[in-house]
Amino acid sequence: MATTTTFQKSEWDTLHRNGPFRLKMLQITELEGKTNMPSSIDRYNDAAKEIQRLIKEAQDHNHGFRAYGSRWSMSNIAHHSDRMHFNSYMNIDLPILSDEVHSDSSYDPSNLFFFQCGNTIKEISQALGAHGKSLKTTGASNGQTIAGCISTGVHGSALDVGSVQDYVVGLNLIIGPNDDDIVYIERETKPALTDAYAYKIKARVIRDDDTFNAALVSLGSFGFIHGVVIEAEDRFLLKRYVRKIDKNIALKMADTMDFENSGFIIPEETDAHGKPNRPYHYKVFINQYVDDPEYVVEAMYKKAYATPYPDPFTTIEKSVYRDLIYLLINISQKFPKAIPWFIKRLEKTILPEVNEETLGTLYETFWDAPYQGPAFACSFGVDHKDSSKVLKILTDLTINEGPIPGIFAMRFVKQSEATMAFTKFPISCVIEIDGVLWEKSRKLMSLKEFSRRMIQVLQQHNIEFTMHWGKNADWGFPGLVNYMFSDKADAWKAQRNKLLSPEMQKLFSNDFLKTIGLADMDTIIPIPIDDGAVAPIV
Amino acid sequence: MITTKWLQRLGVLCLVLLCFSCYSVKIVSTMGTPNPDPMNDNDDDYRNKRVIILDTVIKAGTTTDAIGLRTQREGCSSGKLHSVEYKNTFGGSLLYLVTFGNKRKVRVKYVCMKTEN
Repeated sequence: MATTTTFQKSEWDTLHRNGPFRLKMLQITELEGKTNMPSSIDRYNDAAKEIQRLIKEAQDHNHGFRAYGSRWSMSNIAHHSDRMHFNSYMNIDLPILSDEVHSDSSYDPSNLFFFQCGNTIKEISQALGAHGKSLKTTGASNGQTIAGCISTGVHGSALDVGSVQDYVVGLNLIIGPNDDDIVYIERETKPALTDAYAYKIKARVIRDDDTFNAALVSLGSFGFIHGVVIEAEDRFLLKRYVRKIDKNIALKMADTMDFENSGFIIPEETDAHGKPNRPYHYKVFINQYVDDPEYVVEAMYKKAYATPYPDPFTTIEKSVYRDLIYLLINISQKFPKAIPWFIKRLEKTILPEVNEETLGTLYETFWDAPYQGPAFACSFGVDHKDSSKVLKILTDLTINEGPIPGIFAMRFVKQSEATMAFTKFPISCVIEIDGVLWEKSRKLMSLKEFSRRMIQVLQQHNIEFTMHWGKNADWGFPGLVNYMFSDKADAWKAQRNKLLSPEMQKLFSNDFLKTIGLADMDTIIPIPIDDGAVAPIV
Repeated sequence: MITTKWLQRLGVLCLVLLCFSCYSVKIVSTMGTPNPDPMNDNDDDYRNKRVIILDTVIKAGTTTDAIGLRTQREGCSSGKLHSVEYKNTFGGSLLYLVTFGNKRKVRVKYVCMKTEN
């Protein structure tokens, strides 16, 4: 039997120390050992039973319940003040045989894989690597669990690929304590697995595009994500170049996504006519405190996997003394004008080395990100056509009303089909400022004030934008979700109402959901059905 | 007199600092996932990781060459190593010298790999 240990923990914090937040109890579930239960399916179903028991227990105590994995989100999206469940030890991967793929499926059976919620990107990449496969994209690193990634919309800068949730093709959710509360959801128009497979995991099948798209970026609120089916692809290599180029060229590429006529030429990455190839990944780094005519950019090009290739890992890695960073922050709080000077001094540590070139798999390219102390990140999704305009607005704000101890970067991501994906534009420019967490002082505004001002200035300039669910923001800003998603937010709530009972909606809601106004069930209108009972409809 | 006294104090301070002064070297596997620990809230590289610390003085005979350490079951059920950090201090080296290798200060931190399911 899977076993759960409960700890009476009074506080919980994110990995990057954006809390702490109040907590009643932390629950950790560990799976039955392989020696006692050799079948992976049996152990998977056994874990589902245990999760249902925990949900029932929480319900009986009128408690909320929220699962989390690697606690990488900086917002309080993963937090619940009642019961939190650590699911990282739930890392089974189940085989999918070719006869278990739906007869109408358009997926290559060899590309479909089933992973339990607690598998990290790194674990999944390694499991796929053993089959000669790869994920299509990841975030900038590999420590997040798959369930956490899709719940918050983790992305990289794969401009023609999308975010992590965009290669998820099936979801196994636990939406309550009863037998029929285990569901397997996939798109009706793109089925992946047979009903027989769903029965193996004791799941009721739901094939519905709208339900699937809503549950994909669920903000952790569509029940317990127990497993996901992903579509992988053949393993590939990424050739990575770091260059310092004219900032006008860098921004023009961001605004147009026209690399062919950009003037940014890497001799090895041109077509037969000498025109630049379209990169797989494009990222721009901006130190807003330096009036430099050039920006550091990172471009990656996809290559067929072939061995041998040089080891992409450097043997020796040095890190900055964390105490030094804390000292700089303390000084910055008292003397904010020193921040640009400090950032300039740390530029070599923050930015990739100019003219660096590497070749490696996706797994090797977006590798471990060590914990480097308390950090913040604010991240906006805008139409890539607005990239340079938004960059100017936000950097001007940061210079004029800051300085703030962080620097900007821009990444580019293809549109997602998920209802609440913040990558909602045909190609979203995700513009972010990352840095070291600071405390408000007499001369330095707070992070919340800074994030509020960013929202205000973008609205003043009539910029359509979204925000990364897992990053820092003034999430209580009036009408924020409506501004970002308008009727899509209602559609998302409607699907949640359809899937979850009112009791379970309450159990799977948290402060984050309440703050952004998505926890309420005000769209439910009870009407009588034929047999006289009352059924909720939307 | 005052100068000598202050010089003596400075000397003692330097000796104390030297004994505690240290550096560490860590070797990290490029494969495998570190064993997570949601209860580890330390503000260091091991935050959220299940780290096992061996900080002890091992008594070895004068004929003892190397000392081997084995992973323990508690916190390392996979039995596979993800990272190992060895810390050296001047005090540790001094102890080794003055005891002719009889006492060896060992400070090792290691993280095992997460169990595969």
